[in-house]
Amino acid sequence: MSSYFDPTSELWKWNSPVWLLVLSLIGFYILFHQGTSGKRIASFAFAMFALAMAYASPIGVLSDGYLFSAHVIQHLILLLIVPLFFLLSLSETATEKIFRHPFMNRLGHVLAVPFVGWLSGLGVMWFWHVPSLCNAATENYALGIFRDATFLLAGLAFWWPIFSPVKRFHIPSSQAVIYLFSACLGCTLLGIYITFTVISVCPAFANPVDRLGIMNMLYDQGLTPGTDQRLGGLLMWVPPCSLYVSAIMVILKRWYSDIEQTASANTAGTTGSLREARQ
Amino acid sequence: MTTGSIEQSELTSLEPPVTPTPMLDWVSTLDHKRIGIMYILTAVFYLAVGGFEALLMRIQLAFPNNTFLSPEMFNQLFTMHGTTMVFLVGMPVLTGFANYFVPLMVGARDVAFPRLNAFGFWMLFFGGLLLHFSFLTGSAPNAGWFSYVPLSTKAYSSLQGVDYWIIGLLIMGIGSVSGAINIFATIVSLRAPGMSLQRVPLFVWMMLMQAILIILALPALNSALAMLLIDRWLGSAFFDPTRGGSAVLWQHYFWIFGHPEVYILILPGFGMISEVIPVFSRKPIYGYRFVAASSVAIVLLGYGVWAHHMFAVGLGMYADIFFAVGSLLIAIPTGIKVFNWTATLWGGEIQFNTALHFAVAFLLQFVIGGLTGIMFAAVPIDWQLTDTYFVVAHFHYVLIGGLVFALFSATYYWFPKMTGRMLSERLGIIQFWLWVLGFNMTFMVQHFLGMMGMPRRVYTYADNPGWALLNGIASLGAVFMAIGTLVLLWNIGSSLLRGKIAGDNPWDAFTLEWATTSPPPPENFTSLPEIKSRRPVWDMNHPENADWKTEKTPIDKGKRPNLPKLAAWLFIASEAVFFLLLLIAYVVFNTRTGEASVTSSVLDVQRTGIFSLFLISSSVTFWIAERFLKAGKKSAFVFTLSLTILLGITFLAGQAWEYTGLLTNDITINTDLFSATFFTVTGFHGIHVSAGVIALFIMLIMGIKGSLNPSKAHVFGAVGVYWHFVDVVWLAVFGIIYLGLLQ
Repeated sequence: MSSYFDPTSELWKWNSPVWLLVLSLIGFYILFHQGTSGKRIASFAFAMFALAMAYASPIGVLSDGYLFSAHVIQHLILLLIVPLFFLLSLSETATEKIFRHPFMNRLGHVLAVPFVGWLSGLGVMWFWHVPSLCNAATENYALGIFRDATFLLAGLAFWWPIFSPVKRFHIPSSQAVIYLFSACLGCTLLGIYITFTVISVCPAFANPVDRLGIMNMLYDQGLTPGTDQRLGGLLMWVPPCSLYVSAIMVILKRWYSDIEQTASANTAGTTGSLREARQ
Repeated sequence: MTTGSIEQSELTSLEPPVTPTPMLDWVSTLDHKRIGIMYILTAVFYLAVGGFEALLMRIQLAFPNNTFLSPEMFNQLFTMHGTTMVFLVGMPVLTGFANYFVPLMVGARDVAFPRLNAFGFWMLFFGGLLLHFSFLTGSAPNAGWFSYVPLSTKAYSSLQGVDYWIIGLLIMGIGSVSGAINIFATIVSLRAPGMSLQRVPLFVWMMLMQAILIILALPALNSALAMLLIDRWLGSAFFDPTRGGSAVLWQHYFWIFGHPEVYILILPGFGMISEVIPVFSRKPIYGYRFVAASSVAIVLLGYGVWAHHMFAVGLGMYADIFFAVGSLLIAIPTGIKVFNWTATLWGGEIQFNTALHFAVAFLLQFVIGGLTGIMFAAVPIDWQLTDTYFVVAHFHYVLIGGLVFALFSATYYWFPKMTGRMLSERLGIIQFWLWVLGFNMTFMVQHFLGMMGMPRRVYTYADNPGWALLNGIASLGAVFMAIGTLVLLWNIGSSLLRGKIAGDNPWDAFTLEWATTSPPPPENFTSLPEIKSRRPVWDMNHPENADWKTEKTPIDKGKRPNLPKLAAWLFIASEAVFFLLLLIAYVVFNTRTGEASVTSSVLDVQRTGIFSLFLISSSVTFWIAERFLKAGKKSAFVFTLSLTILLGITFLAGQAWEYTGLLTNDITINTDLFSATFFTVTGFHGIHVSAGVIALFIMLIMGIKGSLNPSKAHVFGAVGVYWHFVDVVWLAVFGIIYLGLLQ
């Protein structure tokens, strides 16, 4: 009987190629570590840990053809968790240096257009759950890698206007709230669809090839294909929305602390004549 | 959205110069304060109606096996009591207070759209009348305030009661959404200089949150009502399981509206308490940012927890778990506020008058209602207690113990401002104790009754051990509340005649409504104090201890969005939710396995595709027309706008062609679920296109007459927001229905 928490069981895949990516990212981070703080290093460590676990842990193994719900968890880690904490791990000075270059500056501004990030984040979420594409990416290894890469990149684009290390790329707070709330609506719709539809969203998971001989264990745990898909839909819906709501709270904190200018700059509030009040 | 064209500078000309009678003066008023008072009076009237209904029910339930009311009458009474209290008391009284005080508190001269404001009120007024006309048919609605299907379908409710319920709610819903758009626009665009959004009084902030909730939640109800109406009148089967419909879908849609509705009712109560407690503790509120930000969290989470009303349906274990966790999460931002209010009282120089009495009782009772709410988030407890008197006790603790007590508190706090006279404190305290006693007698014991297994909505009960006594106590409590209400009415009446003169700021309160006379003049203010903090009137009256000297708040950057465009965006946000839910219904009913899709067989996708191109290109011509208008090229503007209208009409003609083909082939709205969802979605879209064409036509006439000049381009732009929206909706409709993207 395999256990999820037994690192020696076949549910763990320690020889996953993800380590190559993790190691090279660590290398780059050490090279460009200028201006990092404890908090940033912790963010980076967490991002790398999440990235590695998305493949090496049972999440990665089960999302490889066994459980749709595990695939959703992997998808959310790649799209939302890793890029978010990666952006939080970058220091403003180091990133500013890169984005001072005219081309990068333009790229930064393009990514800061809310629609671009929003569409990337939501777009990959929806696009890769069109049944035929979802199936193909699960069954074809190279396409799967490509899909995961789009998750990571789209995630960076999605979080850029909110948590870019360079403040000039941030969108205004009110827009950021709408951005995140509507993103929540987008994944809610997809989640509801996956939860309640009778169609198999990713047929590859409905009839898995039992490479590791764990199918009975999963079924015994109640993770039959129907339940698995409903669970996947709920995971697509509730955790991202909770994350977005938390991000909105961060935005609001930022918004309420926006008091850099001193009160003397407050010229708008002179003793009011009615004409001013009416404007 | 042409209402948006009202400029603030034109406001003075809105009031009719000569008003023959005081009655007509009120009926035709556009003054936000008078409309506010009319809302409040309407709510008070229906409070009497709903309260009377409650009293009748409590008389019936005072003794076991009572025969005072017939079962049928009892069903009608609890349905009308719930509907009245939610839609004709709770929402209007809050809109009334918001109407009166939001413009005053943000230092504006009036609301953003006075005519829309009056429209909203009269929709409510006549919607309420229509709902109550049902009594004249001899069959008031009797399917409960959430009118679960199939009980509310024609097969089980064949009389007209439910029809009146649907139409009444639709009309009131339109009123509520227009009211919410108005309040939102007032807060966002009409704040006095210096008042950044981070500085608005918490009541104003809560009303902003409430407006968002109304704008995005009401359309869910409207779409469900539209489908139920079509089921009842046109014979479709959205909610008829015997013909493939889904009874659970109604529950989903109702509670997608119904749960945010709870916050629509309670958030303004939070706002009122957040005004009263600081003033009578002589302190600023503790943790303004937490109170404000946690309300945002409530608004957002409030949309995601509706299914906790449906644990007994059988949604499956995982769905139950997720909704349970969501419901527990929402307790956090709600709980935070209780600490904020308590900490505000802590160490304060407390003036324990009637308003604060009610506020403190609110705190205690709301906590009880909140805790029982958390109990219901636990699925097994919900299964055990659902549809018992425990539920009745829970939500009355929230809505009476919470909201109504907050309203009483606000009444004692703001009455001096509205009338210029103080209410009697002596009578206030008498009313307070009558209500505290009566309320807790009635509803505390219902917790026990629920635990003992007494189901809600039964017209009578057997003489089980203890039930008679507890029900007797509950009924006696209702009498206390009724007497307490009479004391309040007496207090209001006698104070209006002989009450102490209030003066401008009897409480030495903090916010802008106290910077003008009591009652305020039609133009609200003669001058405004400088706004450099969250308590401008405090700063003005106590310059030595002014807030801005010690606590910095974000300054006003002067951004005030354009009113017509803002209103158009809010309107389409609301409409988007409406269409979204109709489309979800389409997807739900047309993606089942084992049923051959009839789409491709009856729809001419190519032909409709071509007509769709006409509609899409109308967006382009509109955009060009807008540019011509801005550039002042009148004839080019008139030409491109005419072309836009023509393209819109061509699309409608295509739709008419398609409908004729379907109807002549005997495919009507009641044929099957495909036809029902198809005609509903495309029909509502067609109505929207038609409305858009009419709006464009008005613009065209204005353009030809020359009254639409470049300076009014923003008004035209607002119409454009709507027109483009209609096109975007069509793209979704075409993709989902004609191309079958989600099937």
